[in-house]
Amino acid sequence: MHQLIWRLHRTQVYFAVGALSVLSILLLVTGATMAHDYHVFLANCTATRSCSEGAARLFSGDGSIMDLVNFTLVIPLLFGLFWGAPLLAKEFEEGTHNLAWTQGVTRRRWMESHVIWAIVAAVVWGAAMAALVSWWRVPENAIDSRFAAFDVQGIVPVAYSVFAVALGIAVGSIFRRVLPAIATTLGVFVAIRVAIGVYLRPHYVTPVSTLLPLSGPQSNGPIGSWIISSGIEGPHGHFYGNGFDLSDVPKACRTTFPGGGSVSNSCMAAHGFHQLITYQPDSRFWVFQGIEATGFIVMAIALIGFAFWRVLSRDA
Amino acid sequence: MSNLDRAPAIETTGLGKRYGSVWALQECAITVPQGRVTALVGPNGAGKTTLLRILVGLSAPTTGEARVLGRAPKQSEDFLSSIGYLAQDVPLYKRLSAEDHLQMGAHLNHCWDATAARARLTALKIPTDRPVATLSGGQRAQVGLGLALAKRPQLLLLDEPVAALDPLARREFLSSLAEAVADGHLSVVLSSHLLHDLERVCDHVILLANARTQICQDIDDVLTSHRVLVGPRRNIDNVEPTLDVIKATHTAKQTRLLVHLNGPVLDPVWEASEVGLEDIIMAYMDQDDSLSAGPLSLIGAL
Repeated sequence: MHQLIWRLHRTQVYFAVGALSVLSILLLVTGATMAHDYHVFLANCTATRSCSEGAARLFSGDGSIMDLVNFTLVIPLLFGLFWGAPLLAKEFEEGTHNLAWTQGVTRRRWMESHVIWAIVAAVVWGAAMAALVSWWRVPENAIDSRFAAFDVQGIVPVAYSVFAVALGIAVGSIFRRVLPAIATTLGVFVAIRVAIGVYLRPHYVTPVSTLLPLSGPQSNGPIGSWIISSGIEGPHGHFYGNGFDLSDVPKACRTTFPGGGSVSNSCMAAHGFHQLITYQPDSRFWVFQGIEATGFIVMAIALIGFAFWRVLSRDA
Repeated sequence: MSNLDRAPAIETTGLGKRYGSVWALQECAITVPQGRVTALVGPNGAGKTTLLRILVGLSAPTTGEARVLGRAPKQSEDFLSSIGYLAQDVPLYKRLSAEDHLQMGAHLNHCWDATAARARLTALKIPTDRPVATLSGGQRAQVGLGLALAKRPQLLLLDEPVAALDPLARREFLSSLAEAVADGHLSVVLSSHLLHDLERVCDHVILLANARTQICQDIDDVLTSHRVLVGPRRNIDNVEPTLDVIKATHTAKQTRLLVHLNGPVLDPVWEASEVGLEDIIMAYMDQDDSLSAGPLSLIGAL
């Protein structure tokens, strides 16, 4: 059985290994350079106590490689498209399920070995990518929030890969044709990832809110935080966001002159206006990784269960 | 075990399969003893594929019951090992070679006779190291047959195995099959919409038409129980009740009947003669088209 699976999927494996190798070489080379630059920078800036100023400029010339790393976002999806979706759909489309499911092993056993191997491969694929990117991001993480690249490092890429392959298998069991299965897997995967990333993830744990004096310097929260929102809060707890009408400003704080007006920050502060920032602190990074990974693994299990049910209880 | 050995190769009662609102197979009651080579014939859409898929456990019936070698078709290694199945259009993994398929079979089956399968393919000069997509239709069919036979099944079911083959490949395929049957204790069912192909190798026939069973008998019995009667022109209502008229054709003076005999032909006006299997089958197919208004003929009318 295992040999059969190897024979059927060896092309995909060769492609996967090839793509990962290219990515690794790219990341290893640029990552080593980045780590070196970072250590040089640290040594210099601690000497001159200028670390906070230089950090923003440190990797500013590496735009395209940063884009590439952000692009590794799609790597788990590729696995679902090219291994998950065709797993059943290709058998149905080419009629080979008739051959496979009339051999001396039951459909359940056939499914078990195919699904287990697909998941093992997905875990390896996701873990390899996550390990590479996590390592590459170490210097970057030190000067930027880890949350900024939440999706491509840590353990979630593994969960995304497993989810993608499970989704592909489940979709293939419904559509029974390769192209519709691939297209649907793509659509559903992107929709679920975006929905969770945008609407659910900020609320896994109640964010921390901090009131800061309006007159002080603009703050982005503690280093490494993920800012959920930031803006002005009025004296009665009304949140104005980043801009508000002049009519909301107490009369005393308005100075009008021909052609415009301005608002005095210190006057506003005296009238009870604050800067309110809501954020997830850096220390919650692994909690969030754990919650998100668990969510995707649970969905993957449900999808695999569904695929088994389709294959075992319905006509082939 | 001895019970199973004596059980019919196939036995179905009231078997039916419905897809949506259309019955693909209805009231199918057949019994095929072991050791027969059975032709499963009928027009396209008669339910041949549906019946075979139910018998191998790929599809579950809507009504009725099927028993294969005394067992209900189900997902057990025991059952799956006892049947060999070659689906329509010979599905194979295109990029794998025949040798890959043989090794795959060895992994997926407890009982697997790779030696005989390799010998058969070699004797037919079929390259076993090339992707099967590069083989001819006839060669692929032989690979498919080889895989089904390598399981050493007790019952081999072949769905339209020769439909897409040229006459030479067809002949070769049927010879391979005949050899395999001669070699061992094997029951075979092979379907076709053309009886002509199968008459040479089969000794039993099932006719499905309009999703129902019309005939399920040994070919010899079919031949002895049907006659062509020729006599002066008369209305078929006046034919004696022991004769089932399958088909009647009239000329100005004569009436020609193809009948199924339930007793001897007593009326001396008839001149009886034997009739070939193909004519009998065609008569049943014609009869069904003209007499019934089932879903299939409705579709035909549209």
